Amino acid sequence: MSVRTGTIAAGALHDQRRGLIGWVLAVAVVATMYTAFYPSIGAAKFSVMLDAMPEVAKVMGFDKILSASGYVGATVYSLLGAVLVLVCAISLGARLIAGEEEAGTLELDFSAPVTRDRVFLERLAVLWLTVLLLVLSITTTLLILSSALDLGLEPAKLIAASTGLLLFGGAMGTVAFGVGAATGRRGIGIGVASSLAVVAYLFNYLSPLIDAPWMESFSPFSWYIGNDPLLNGFDGGGLALLAALAIVAGVGGWVPFGRRNLMV
Amino acid sequence: MAPAIRTVGLVKDYGKVRALDGLDLAVESGQVFGFLGPNGAGKSTTIRLLLDLLRPTAGTVEVLGQSPREGGPALRARIGYLPGELGLPSRKTAGEYLHYLAQLRGGRGAERIDDLAKRFGLQLDRPLRALSKGNKQKVTIVQAFMHNPELLVLDEPTSSLDPLLQMEFRRLVDEAKERGATVFLSSHVLAEVEDIAGSVAIVRAGRIVDIDDVRALRERAGQDVLIRFASPVDAAEFAGLPGLTDVVVQGTTMTCRLHGEPDALLRVAMAHHVVRWQSQDRDLEDLFMEFYRDEVPGAVAPAAAATAVAPVDEEVVR
Repeated sequence: MSVRTGTIAAGALHDQRRGLIGWVLAVAVVATMYTAFYPSIGAAKFSVMLDAMPEVAKVMGFDKILSASGYVGATVYSLLGAVLVLVCAISLGARLIAGEEEAGTLELDFSAPVTRDRVFLERLAVLWLTVLLLVLSITTTLLILSSALDLGLEPAKLIAASTGLLLFGGAMGTVAFGVGAATGRRGIGIGVASSLAVVAYLFNYLSPLIDAPWMESFSPFSWYIGNDPLLNGFDGGGLALLAALAIVAGVGGWVPFGRRNLMV
Repeated sequence: MAPAIRTVGLVKDYGKVRALDGLDLAVESGQVFGFLGPNGAGKSTTIRLLLDLLRPTAGTVEVLGQSPREGGPALRARIGYLPGELGLPSRKTAGEYLHYLAQLRGGRGAERIDDLAKRFGLQLDRPLRALSKGNKQKVTIVQAFMHNPELLVLDEPTSSLDPLLQMEFRRLVDEAKERGATVFLSSHVLAEVEDIAGSVAIVRAGRIVDIDDVRALRERAGQDVLIRFASPVDAAEFAGLPGLTDVVVQGTTMTCRLHGEPDALLRVAMAHHVVRWQSQDRDLEDLFMEFYRDEVPGAVAPAAAATAVAPVDEEVVR
């Protein structure tokens, strides 16, 4: 009478399936729009635009958009693509345990003959699987467009950047998930994770402006994109820090979740 | 044989609020046991402690001879649980959800879903979000009974069912009893449990104030009776009758509260032409309001230490 592994995850995925398809399409569309826009403007026009911009724009990294890799990195991976992945990961992460617990929809899962650990791990797996699907959607779209429009994006570096995005989105989602699981409050999960995301983003951009390199070392956003993986490939240190953040958030949620009162 | 449910001096605090204050309860195996009390008395808290959703602040809980925490999944496999307030996942159909819950039990109960759904007239292909309150309740009933558990823990199981379905539910409880299962069901209305439960415990403010068999309790709770006559009657005729209190006559209408047998009242009423007869069991909520009203200040020691075994009978004010 043992329960097959994946039963809980499959049930949760089944509930999210429509939203998931929507997100996968949305990030593909965003990646397409940014990238398709690049050849029609061309590097030359970007160069003119840049000259007209204030110095701060160059500090913020806008000068990198002169190459296709730099452009895709500065747009899809640093702006809207990353934001969409974050919004999806954080909202889903906070919902998977805390949100559903508040809505009462987990009461029968909790009282079923499965351990709390099992509920926790399988629902966490759903979060990571979702982020993986979004990142795959972006990566595949970019690979196709790169060869179609002859942008010359290197697959290896694209995969490096996508690995970063997976770990970044997954880690931030895990923060929302872990805080939600520890407290049982969806709002707290979303609040903590989005505050962390905003601080991470601000630190990354303020750091060069106010000449404070320590800020980058504390910013998960810098861990992810600070080393320009689309130009420089895998950044082992950054990826390790993101993985560590995910593990800390996961364990930090898992321990109190096993001990606290549920459904209160 | 160990009792199906046993709690000793069970205390549960939510922050500074004490929800259970030394609850002592023993439910013998094979019993159908009613757990009665007004809203907020601690019924759902007790039930969630049985299922290890909550962890006790003090005292002990044993379910089928084990602590819910140590029993874990293997213990929960032997329990059927019907939550009092359940959110159902809106994106699944009733059938998908029930089969999912059966999968969580290793497939046990899946084969009974169709049959039980038919008995309650539940359409399995409808999405849960589209179901009425009564239909949602059917889903929770089916999932609690489908795997033939040894112990059924039912939190206000029939509150949204129509009378016909309440009868079907009763049959289900009888079947469970016949195969030797223990049924523990909570309610805030006596009528919901009186026909099925053998004995009942009354919980108030987190403590058991009375354990009794159903008939004695009904007598104590009483009924509100209204009789309308064809012509005006005299209040004095009814005033002294046994078991009758609060007699009020307004023209042709007499209202009163009846405890015990209605025989004497009926004999007097029969002397007149009775146009309308209405009698309603009193809600336990009312009964408790009465308890509170009649209480001598200081008569109930609040939050004494977690005392064991039944020193609380005196708290019941007659």
